[in-house]
Amino acid sequence: MSVPTHHIIPEPPAFENPPYPPDIFAGRTVLVSGGGSGMGLAMAKAFAQGGAKVAVMGRNLDRAQAGAAEIAALGASVHAISADVRDPAAISAAFDAAEAVLGPVTLLANNAGANFPVLAENISVNAWNAVTRIAIDGTFLCSTEMVRRCIARGEGGAIVNNSAQYIWTGFPGDAHSAAAKTAQATMTKAMAREWKALGIRVNAIAAGFFPHASSTNGDAPDAIAPLQNMIPAGRTGRIREFGWMSAMTCTPLIGGMTGQVIVQDGGESLRRSLMMPDFIPPRERSGGPWGWQ
Amino acid sequence: MDWLKGKTVHLAGTHPAIEAALKAAGATHSPMEEANIFVHLAPAPRHVPAHEQGHEEWRKTLDAGLDQRFLQANDFARHCRDRGQGGVVLFVGAPEQSAGVDQAAAAGALGNLTKTLGVEWARDGIRVNSILTHRNDETVGTLAAYLVSDYAAYVTGAVMGVDEND
Repeated sequence: MSVPTHHIIPEPPAFENPPYPPDIFAGRTVLVSGGGSGMGLAMAKAFAQGGAKVAVMGRNLDRAQAGAAEIAALGASVHAISADVRDPAAISAAFDAAEAVLGPVTLLANNAGANFPVLAENISVNAWNAVTRIAIDGTFLCSTEMVRRCIARGEGGAIVNNSAQYIWTGFPGDAHSAAAKTAQATMTKAMAREWKALGIRVNAIAAGFFPHASSTNGDAPDAIAPLQNMIPAGRTGRIREFGWMSAMTCTPLIGGMTGQVIVQDGGESLRRSLMMPDFIPPRERSGGPWGWQ
Repeated sequence: MDWLKGKTVHLAGTHPAIEAALKAAGATHSPMEEANIFVHLAPAPRHVPAHEQGHEEWRKTLDAGLDQRFLQANDFARHCRDRGQGGVVLFVGAPEQSAGVDQAAAAGALGNLTKTLGVEWARDGIRVNSILTHRNDETVGTLAAYLVSDYAAYVTGAVMGVDEND
């Protein structure tokens, strides 16, 4: 089944037409955690389209380097770094390395995350710690690292956090990420308040589903087709529009914006009916805890 | 930035920063019947404690902040459907808790109305969003212009402020 042809599906402009001038971030450096692939790479490319120098941080150096090569192809200065966002010393070293090559980091995209469908009772302590600490501790550690450096230099800055559309509803079958992504959104507001006077802005995107090569089943057209039908907007998100919205929050074009969590999900999180299909506990779903695997 | 080149907008209410930003982005004004974009702007009401507020004053806030928005958005969406075109609705007003109980009621209702209409009209290609803020500066204008542009094609049912005090 496909979306009926009489339905109207709005689309964003083409990748070659970013919403801001090519020099909006000129002379500035952004650090993107988990920037080598997926949503982080989309953020990194969006910053590059605005003229930013891009530090691509990832746990896997090969992947970070591959992403950096794609960003460099857009004409941006790049530097790939391997670091674990849960390790304060590694983050500090990564910022040192990024700044040595690209100059002071005044822009940050907290994107690093891990996620997979699993029943709460089957989440090991290790898995719980990994998913929650990459998002929560990682966002805390990377943000504070950048802000301390900005304070020392007397510079402002901007941070964007990659949160998720399920932060207001919970996400059965995804307890670790449901908790972690909501913390990122509440941290966004708290950090925005604390750092307002320092000229550092903090916003978040509560993202819906933006398929990419490394998302769960994200590169399988057969798996994505039913999602197009399920989402009110009639399609999944285009990864470029997520990247642009993220980078846009960091531009001086909307330099007064801070503490906002913008949902960008095509209405996915809002869809409901009075009568819905029978409730099946995540444990009993044939397609796995998300009903889709 | 020509985010709104070729688009027509109908505004209800006045907001110099938003009007300037829409114009700068390339939008032109048109009657509601022909507009691609409908922006409804409601002024922040004066704060009057609930027990000192007469029913007439109460109704005035609810009419401007909620009823007129719903009725006019419905008209706009009907025109879009009649033309077989998508469209964008943007409601702009003060935050929920920025004035009295009248504003709390109007803005709270508007927020969930935004989420509801965003889904009801999604497959008509009509997006519905709200900005609830105490600010009225250039950032609000530019944010509004972005939200009604195709760059925000995947944003619907979103209710946002502008800064940490919203």
